[in-house]
Amino acid sequence: MAGTADMAAGTGGAATALRLVLKRLGAGLVTMLLVSAVVFTVSSLLPGDAAQETLGQSATPEAVAALRQQYGLDRPAPERYLRWLGGLAAGDPGRSLVANMPVAEVIAGRLPNSLLLAGLTAAVSVPLALLVGILSAMRQDSRLDRGLNIATLAMVALPEFLVATLAVLAFSVELRLLPSIAMVKAGAGWGETLRSLAMPVMTLSVVVVAQMARMTRAAVIAQLGQPYVEMARLKGLGPARVVFAHVLPNAVGPIVNAMALSLSYLLGGAIIVETIFNYPGLASLMVNAVASRDMPLLQACAMVFCGAYLLLVLAADVVAILANPRIRQG
Amino acid sequence: MTAPPPPVPPLSRRALLGAGAGLALAGLAPGGTWAEAGPRRGGRIRVAGIASSTADTLDPAKGGLSTDYTRHYMAYGGLTEYGPGLVPMPALAEALDTSDQTLWRLALRRGVRFHDGTPFGAADVVYSLLRHKDPATASKVRPLAEQFAEVRATGPHEVMVRLAGPNADLPAILAQSHFLVVKDGTKDFSAGIGTGPYRIKSFRPGVGTTVVRNDEYWKPGKPYLDEIELIAIPDEVSRVNALLSGDVQLVMAVNPRSVGRIKASPGHAVLETRSSLYTNLIMRQDGLLPTGNPDFVLAMKHLLDRDLIRRALFRNYATVANDHPIPPWHPYFRDDLPQRAFDPEKARFHLRRAGLEGLRLPIYASPAAEGSVDMASVLQEHAAQVGLRLAVNRMPSDGYWSSHWMKHPLTFGNTNPRPTADLVFSLFYKSDAPWNESAWKDERFDRLLVEARGEADPARRKELYGEMQGLVHAGCGVGIPVFITLIDGHDRRLGGLRPVALGGFMGYAFAEHVWWGA
Amino acid sequence: MTDAAAPLARTGAPLAWARSLPLTGKLGLALVLLWLAVAALGPALAPHAVGAFVSPEVFARPGAAHWLGTDYLGRDVLSRLLSGARYTVGLALAAALLASGTGTALALLAAVGGRWLDEGLSRLMDTLISIPSKIFALVLVAAFGSSLPLLLLVAAVTYVPGAYRIARSMAVGLYQMDYVQVARARGEGRLYVARAEILPNMVGPLLADFGLRFVFIVLLLSGLSFLGLGVQPPDADLGSLVRENISGLPEGASAILAPALAIASLTVGANLLIDAVSGKGRR
Repeated sequence: MAGTADMAAGTGGAATALRLVLKRLGAGLVTMLLVSAVVFTVSSLLPGDAAQETLGQSATPEAVAALRQQYGLDRPAPERYLRWLGGLAAGDPGRSLVANMPVAEVIAGRLPNSLLLAGLTAAVSVPLALLVGILSAMRQDSRLDRGLNIATLAMVALPEFLVATLAVLAFSVELRLLPSIAMVKAGAGWGETLRSLAMPVMTLSVVVVAQMARMTRAAVIAQLGQPYVEMARLKGLGPARVVFAHVLPNAVGPIVNAMALSLSYLLGGAIIVETIFNYPGLASLMVNAVASRDMPLLQACAMVFCGAYLLLVLAADVVAILANPRIRQG
Repeated sequence: MTAPPPPVPPLSRRALLGAGAGLALAGLAPGGTWAEAGPRRGGRIRVAGIASSTADTLDPAKGGLSTDYTRHYMAYGGLTEYGPGLVPMPALAEALDTSDQTLWRLALRRGVRFHDGTPFGAADVVYSLLRHKDPATASKVRPLAEQFAEVRATGPHEVMVRLAGPNADLPAILAQSHFLVVKDGTKDFSAGIGTGPYRIKSFRPGVGTTVVRNDEYWKPGKPYLDEIELIAIPDEVSRVNALLSGDVQLVMAVNPRSVGRIKASPGHAVLETRSSLYTNLIMRQDGLLPTGNPDFVLAMKHLLDRDLIRRALFRNYATVANDHPIPPWHPYFRDDLPQRAFDPEKARFHLRRAGLEGLRLPIYASPAAEGSVDMASVLQEHAAQVGLRLAVNRMPSDGYWSSHWMKHPLTFGNTNPRPTADLVFSLFYKSDAPWNESAWKDERFDRLLVEARGEADPARRKELYGEMQGLVHAGCGVGIPVFITLIDGHDRRLGGLRPVALGGFMGYAFAEHVWWGA
Repeated sequence: MTDAAAPLARTGAPLAWARSLPLTGKLGLALVLLWLAVAALGPALAPHAVGAFVSPEVFARPGAAHWLGTDYLGRDVLSRLLSGARYTVGLALAAALLASGTGTALALLAAVGGRWLDEGLSRLMDTLISIPSKIFALVLVAAFGSSLPLLLLVAAVTYVPGAYRIARSMAVGLYQMDYVQVARARGEGRLYVARAEILPNMVGPLLADFGLRFVFIVLLLSGLSFLGLGVQPPDADLGSLVRENISGLPEGASAILAPALAIASLTVGANLLIDAVSGKGRR
């Protein structure tokens, strides 16, 4: 195994990356199966079922029994799970019990919103984090480094909901510059969309930039201490050249990994931002699904989050390999 | 025309219903609470309720959240509707006649059409009422619908309803959003075809609803607005911020702590609605629980610091209650019942007599029951001083009603306003009621309840309901500290708002009454 | 003589160590020590009981009677802060240690333990991490009720995979390093290599990661309080204190500023200290 991998490395990073992608697809399926099993197990521990939660405070035993039958909840749990799994394998994620429409339709109504929010946040936060991380690593222990360090720390020092609420108070209530709720209307122009998403993107960026910037800084600094950097410096290369040509390729592994982790947070972790800005994304849909015990919908949300995460880490590993073929990723 | 509403519901008398109809048609309310400028056509507003989810529905029978009720009142019309003082007024039913409160004849309004052009008639009413009895409908008011022994069309615009027993409150019951009229045979409600003041333009569960004016609405001149967008903002602070930043023009369920901010804004105001909403302490009476001891119940009722709860929790947006569900402004309120006060000494005395000093008990509260977590904290603090150790368990809203409410010896419940005394007593206090929260059993109470329901004479009814209030106050395992005042926040340019004691948003039915004055 | 001198030297050592820290490190150390002290002694110092209703005025300004004012129900903010800090500090510290420790240990195992172990652990971590943590917490709390061990478990489980991934990517990289391969060729055992050759070279970034993980756990706990989960009343952790007084934000009530500043000083302090320490370790 080691021999073939080394050969692959010898033929270049692209081939290794391709093998990795193929292997990861297989592993990804295993992970998704595991996730669905975990979601199923944990959610079956929840008190009540979709029938009871639908009826809420007004549930009577007869009404619950009738609704249970309607939802197909009178079947044993393992049978429902296997049936769902079979459906998924055939490409059908089932019907949402509570919304009474295909799960795919429900998800399709929310996924673009979540992707838009995550994409915009990534577009803002990744370059910012790289800039801050590399800059402070190059000027390690300078006043700039300390300043940036404290600034990034201060950004994560306050709870997300407080940051979001403060932003609304300042920009919507007082200054009336930005809308307090992020409503994405079909057919709205880019300008309007950007304006209504400005505060959610800002809040989420505040949360993820620090982690990425600090990991970038740490990874770059770790490489700066290596002998090969000394060598490069002795050869008379400028600091920027050293960092971009020699250090970054070696530091890229932990950096892109940290980024993948942070960015995967932008989908499922956006629940507080979605709540405060009333943004119809996937995270609040999943919380809905938990609250209403809508298992097919809950599973579908979990699958989407899991898939997104797997794609992100796969991308991170591919980038790491392409940048530095010496690493064999597992 | 401008006569004040009668002190008690006129119920079955055609003459008074007719008078009420004039009042509703003219779009005028007594007391001059309408905006100075008067109604004006046109305009578009956005409105924020409390909660929405994928369970949002356009089926009136399934409505479970205030946002649902609001949406249903936009799209559908009812046989009756609530006028001032919750007096039932004729709507799609022009008259409801009965001589024995059991057999009712409904004369339906002619010339009304559904949004898709279908004429409204008796078959729609029969279908709309009977579908609640079918378990497959999953109706929230199935227990109420069980009393419809027979519903039959006796003409194209005439319906006969025979009840299982006499009930003088039928007109009030039919005005609830769940009994709004749908088209005969409807199984798929996604289009929201009703006879209501607005047509559904778009409906996305968990996201929002947009409605446009129904130009064929049967009430002349109404509704006023061109378009309403109904969304929900679950976080209260965000909801108020959205109002103050001008993104929405009307919000429901404002926290008393936010009232100051709204009043400080020159363009905004609050609408206060005194209601019979209450959050109550439940002490289970069944089994061999310490909470079933009558002395324990009295001790706990004396430990409720009603003044502190009203002041600290609700910033005085509440009315002190007397451990029964009828508020002081209700026509059937009994005013000679002494007010129970916070009295640690009496509590200690009863606790000692019950032999329960030093007892340790868990108490379950949840954000699902408004204010209950803070009430539990208050109770815990005071109980500790008389030698009763309460351990507060704050449960998440998720699953509270199905797994904790009424399931432990000490829990909290939350009861929304009901249009009649009979409804709240029947649903929550009768021995065999589905939500008899404390499992309290009192034969005399049950007999009085049935008698009052069939009684047509208001004075006699008041007497009967008065005695029932006394029984609940003295013996029931339910402690009601305060009635909570509902607070809506609105843009000052929104005219036509007035309180309806059933809920915020004018009892959820604001849509046909309001206009945009800008 | 030597016996008597030893403790003296030992007590002297931390002082000297503290003096050698850069200024930011000293500040961080001071803040961390302050919060540890508050966590340990806070409840004893609190002037009022945590649940006592001491004032008819809500959101009162700081004054002689109530140094940090009163909260949304008229309770003493200082007392609630002093009593609440231990939950945040204790829970977050324990959860961060648990998460980073477990994550790093598993990562080292994966790096040196062969393909199948690596594969299995990685799938397991992927599974855990791809379930959104706050929603996972909601489900667990709805199923089991809110308790301290459960919150600890949720926080730790949430952050093990992150620690694992970062540690593993470093460990795998280091495992390819020549000096590690030399050690392997020397015939050293895998666990020895992991402990003696790989781990020491990961400490700097790992500490930086631990610091942030601590911050994130503090913030996760306050995020959970937004969703209505957390310590049972009348107690409240720092995040819950911020959350329950949020309606005082527009008027700038001290009831919300105080716990917010507490969280900020705790997280910033912890990271400044960690930075200083990991920086020293590198030199």
